[in-house]
Amino acid sequence: MTGPLFVGVDVGSSATKCVVLDAGGRIVGRNVRPSGFNYAQSAQASIDAAMRACGGSARCMTCCVSTGYGRADVPGSARRVTEITCHARGARQWYPAARTIIDIGGQDTKVIRLDADGRTTDYRMNAKCAAGTGTFLESIAVRLGCTLAEIDALAMRSTGQARVNSYCTVFAGTEVLERIKAGQPREDISMGLFRSIASRVLEMVAARDGPVAATGGVVAYCGAMVRALEEALGDRVLLPAEPQLAGAYGAALLGAEMDGAADPGSGVPVGEGAERC
Amino acid sequence: MQTEAIKRVPIEATGRLRALMREYFLGLDAAARDPDRRVAWCTSVGPCEILVALGFDVYFPENHGAMLGAKRLSHELIPRAVGAGYCPESCSYMNSDIGSALTGRSPLREAYGIDGPPTPNLLVYNTNQCRETQDWFSFFGRRHESPVMGICPPGYLGAVEPAQVAYVRGQLVRLIGQIESRFGLKMDPARLEEAVSLSSRASTLWREVLETARTRPAPITFWDGLIHMAPVILMRGSQAPIDYYRALLAEMEDRVRSGVGAVRDEQWRIYWEGMPVWPKVRELSEKFFDLRAVVAASTYCNSWAFRPYEGGDPLEWMAATSTEIFINRDEAFKQAFLVEMFERFSIDGVIFHNARTCPNNTNCRFGMAQRLRDKQGMPVLVIDGDLSDVRFFSTAQTMTNVEAFIEQLEGRR
Repeated sequence: MTGPLFVGVDVGSSATKCVVLDAGGRIVGRNVRPSGFNYAQSAQASIDAAMRACGGSARCMTCCVSTGYGRADVPGSARRVTEITCHARGARQWYPAARTIIDIGGQDTKVIRLDADGRTTDYRMNAKCAAGTGTFLESIAVRLGCTLAEIDALAMRSTGQARVNSYCTVFAGTEVLERIKAGQPREDISMGLFRSIASRVLEMVAARDGPVAATGGVVAYCGAMVRALEEALGDRVLLPAEPQLAGAYGAALLGAEMDGAADPGSGVPVGEGAERC
Repeated sequence: MQTEAIKRVPIEATGRLRALMREYFLGLDAAARDPDRRVAWCTSVGPCEILVALGFDVYFPENHGAMLGAKRLSHELIPRAVGAGYCPESCSYMNSDIGSALTGRSPLREAYGIDGPPTPNLLVYNTNQCRETQDWFSFFGRRHESPVMGICPPGYLGAVEPAQVAYVRGQLVRLIGQIESRFGLKMDPARLEEAVSLSSRASTLWREVLETARTRPAPITFWDGLIHMAPVILMRGSQAPIDYYRALLAEMEDRVRSGVGAVRDEQWRIYWEGMPVWPKVRELSEKFFDLRAVVAASTYCNSWAFRPYEGGDPLEWMAATSTEIFINRDEAFKQAFLVEMFERFSIDGVIFHNARTCPNNTNCRFGMAQRLRDKQGMPVLVIDGDLSDVRFFSTAQTMTNVEAFIEQLEGRR
């Protein structure tokens, strides 16, 4: 298989994601790794790994578009686009009917409204506060001596309706400790954490014109987050197969569009590892 | 250097502005040291013409608050005010100014070689902006054992009724009487009319300067306005701002004739609603410049563009301008004002600054942004921050928001 490759790199506060598309717009390579201290190195390592996964190399890269918090640090980026536009683009490709995109990332939560043509009509980001983001969960998990996966597993077993109400991550931690002291089941407390995030997200959903899709690392790893969102919205949430890759996928799609490769398809992955170029 | 030269077309009048500001602050310092002169502190849209007419040198602490923010000192000074009992979420101008007084740190020392703000003989507030001005001035009144006086116009008005103007005029008459009595002075009506006339002429010229941004490309931006508005705030009632704005207006009109824009290859025209983010003005202005977006108009810079004085009772003009300013009006008036401004300046999108410590000059807290978006079809962005306290501002998040906003506008074309 030969042809141009389009690379999208999403350097988030927690994880760096890379997606490689072939000329048909199919995802042929991908990589996720911690962003660490050096965004440029992480981005390059992620690109290299994603390229290796699809049997490509740097000389095959037709266009690289970067996004995310560290978008300015990506080597070889032809264009920098915000994660708001990229997540919208990626999610829209997976779910053309979606009108609201909820992206819950490490330090930002974004709610993006799209019109029928897929153009962004409005978006909101969380205020300068960790509440409502992945950092909130990580912070509480550390305080409880659990991993995020353990918190999620506990929450998925919850049958109660507990909520963590505090707006502040620090105060939420205190609230959790109070509930532990009060003997509330760990499962319900854990689910309450996800409901807390969902309630913050709901504040940012100004209006709903159609289906809601969720992207980002938190929904990728935490089924309880999706459940809490669906509870809060009273509706099903569309969840792509690889929600954490939506930003990188959107960036790669924008790169393909810049190059005139106009038929990106659905991004459904094809076999990896074949030699390219 | 070359990039910088390409980026910025310097405003030639800036040199003159610097000299004017120096003269103003040195004059205030000299007045404070001269037993035969008196210094009054006044709020930025307060009754300064009365003070000028009675012979006071007038100082405006809000300017100092803005300087503390712009010099990124506020977040170091505010904790001192908080320690003295002021809430950290109260006005960051007030808190940083109080902190400045408590620590003796002022950017005036570095800028003009003076110790700090002049000691007041009198402090005069106008609560048409917010109640904090009264509390702010009360702190310094206690500190310097100086009298604090003021007026309290009715607030949050729709249409301004003659009875409301008459009520405020009555307060101004009472204020004059209080000052005359306290300092043994006598108001000269001709001098008051002269001060009002000078004030109005400066204000009108300032408005004309701002109006030049209606042309495309705009010769001046909101960011420039934040610098060049100083004379219309600090020197009202004197000839100096009139002379200055004539020169600035001539320069802007020349730019209009020559097609010189403040932003290279202007693509987007933005309206800024709310307070500036003083500690981040430079970064924000550069970001907008890089995005080829001109912030062509703002509510803030228009705050000192009063109705013209056309003779008659100067106190009535003062009462009317004090009462009818944007910040003192209801939501419906503000929305109509904004819509008119968007049309006048051919605005593509509006940015609301949700200033954490300035609820009174933040207009996105009661659904205005959504209404403008839904009913006017105006793209709207709300950014969270503060006028002075940088701790309430996330640079990365705000810059992403601004970039995404421009991407949104690009998607609409």
